[in-house]
Amino acid sequence: MSTRSGAWEDERLREASFDFEGTFRAQYERIARVIASVVRDPSRAEELAVEVFLKLWRTPQAQGESARGWLYRTAVRKGLDELRRRTRRARYEALLGFGRVLTPEDIRLANEEREQVRLVLAAIASRHSELLLLRSQGLNYSELAASLELQPTSIGTLLARAQQAFRKEYIKRYGQK
Amino acid sequence: MDRNDEVYADDWVDERLAKLSGDSEWYPNVVQALARLNEQRRGGESRRRGWIWALASIALVLCILAFPTARNRIRALWDSSHFNGVNIGQVSASVKTLKDGQAAPDFTSLDADGHSVRLSAYKGRVVLLNFWATWCHGCQTEIPWLIEFESKYSDRGFSVIGVSMDDSGWKSVKPFIDEKKMNYPVVIGNDEMAKPYGLSSMPMTFLIDRKGKIAGTSVGVVDKKACEIEIVSLLAK
Repeated sequence: MSTRSGAWEDERLREASFDFEGTFRAQYERIARVIASVVRDPSRAEELAVEVFLKLWRTPQAQGESARGWLYRTAVRKGLDELRRRTRRARYEALLGFGRVLTPEDIRLANEEREQVRLVLAAIASRHSELLLLRSQGLNYSELAASLELQPTSIGTLLARAQQAFRKEYIKRYGQK
Repeated sequence: MDRNDEVYADDWVDERLAKLSGDSEWYPNVVQALARLNEQRRGGESRRRGWIWALASIALVLCILAFPTARNRIRALWDSSHFNGVNIGQVSASVKTLKDGQAAPDFTSLDADGHSVRLSAYKGRVVLLNFWATWCHGCQTEIPWLIEFESKYSDRGFSVIGVSMDDSGWKSVKPFIDEKKMNYPVVIGNDEMAKPYGLSSMPMTFLIDRKGKIAGTSVGVVDKKACEIEIVSLLAK
């Protein structure tokens, strides 16, 4: 058997042995909550969570022992992408003057600290936001390293930098509260 | 920033990020999500199959177009189905060919027996000039009719001349002539011979009157009845 067909066989075996539905049932709620923490809208978070699992199904390399870390990383990126898209859209609409009229609910949300945290996360570098979000979900250093494919020894330093970046951006926007 | 500041920053950031912990009353619906996921997996699979079919079809068409023989066969099939029923003397407006009344461009070539065939030597006779090829299905349909016209009207001053456009030359044309018992001279054509006639597809047939002028053109298989009427009418002039 050639190396190429051997690799293909291995992939098929891994695919056959991976319990996709079991992983979905075990992880879906957590993944949906991770996304909801970033995108605010629970129904949109559920849609995006399904997309994350669809991507896992289409990515045989991600199936296996590392699936959990892969799911967290993809979920956080998906959520941040959605958050940035919304932020960008709101900015352009405001700039071009055809945005919708702000409702009292919008104003209340904008002043809410949770929304301010989201906007800061959308503004800082992705590697910082990803790290902070996963950390806030309770992942320890080794889990963070596995999820983001980083060296476990560098997590402490990277986390400290991410926190500094967050703090700096937050204070710049809203002052020290 | 000293160590105390770092600890402070840690707590300060964690405090804010903790505000993101969602609504504890909300529970994602796993069953509904699984149903949605399965639906999308099925949809994705059929979409992927659709793409594979579309790409395979495009690849097949490109392969066919890449080979001249296959391309010519398809063109011949198209012509024979598309132009079947074009009356002699009529031609599609999209084909740039000789007009009725124009002098038929002369040529000289050798037939299968090595005899010289010169078109201008047929002046005084009505000539049916037929461009054809052995692989052309439409040509194979009309050749028996041309054999019939030749035997029926040659005594009255009518001649058929076949111009084969086969790339392989006599190698494939000679056995074909023998097999079909073609009773009229056939020469091997080339681009130089075909260009003045505006040969665009095969079969293509020209009727030339006794003065050597074009009297009718047919692109595709001739309409046998209309062609015979035209021959008789030209012979009577």
